[in-house]
Amino acid sequence: MNPFSAISAVVSSGLKAQSYRLQLVSENLANADTHGYRRKLVSFDKARDAASGADVVKVSRVMLDPAKGEEIFDPSHPLANENGYVVMSNVNMLTEIADAREATRSYEAGLQIFRQAREMYAGLIDILRR
Amino acid sequence: MKLEAFQAAQSYGLAKTALKGDLASPVAGQEAKNPAFDALHALAGAIEKGEKTSVAYMTGGADPHSLVEAMAQAEMAIETAVTVRDKVVEAYQELLRMPV
Repeated sequence: MNPFSAISAVVSSGLKAQSYRLQLVSENLANADTHGYRRKLVSFDKARDAASGADVVKVSRVMLDPAKGEEIFDPSHPLANENGYVVMSNVNMLTEIADAREATRSYEAGLQIFRQAREMYAGLIDILRR
Repeated sequence: MKLEAFQAAQSYGLAKTALKGDLASPVAGQEAKNPAFDALHALAGAIEKGEKTSVAYMTGGADPHSLVEAMAQAEMAIETAVTVRDKVVEAYQELLRMPV
């Protein structure tokens, strides 16, 4: 099997996984002020690509962070419990931004690998040409 | 050395039927034996996949990553095929230029 086509399959799966991760980060950030919202966590798993026989990455499952959200004292709030506390989301902005940064870096690494593989292949074809 | 110029011309004509996958044609058996047709089929498959994925992308059925992957594969296959074809034609022209 041509390793270059395997590379494009693997890189494509990596880019897909990282962009999905960024999607979850944006969902978490958008819901940062939603009461009772639990941030979503993603875990990846390897999968065998039948066409190229390479190990690609896939999203195995999306979990909800079990951590408890911050409780804020606000008796006038319609969602307040009998003690007057409202449960906020358990989203931590700093963690989400760091996660987004990490997803972007991984995405860029994938693009770079793709670019490099293309250059290598172009070089190989060039030898045949002359 | 056996120069099979006629076979080369014939194979070129066969390319059309090979791409159609027309097994009912009288040259079907011949076509199955020739490894060049495997390469041709692979090339046609890569191009077809690129076209299908781009249509799916336009209609919202595929994500951009699959599109880029399929187009890169097609580009790679075409570039290889074109280079090999150029090389073969060049070699054949070299033979034609030979003084006899």
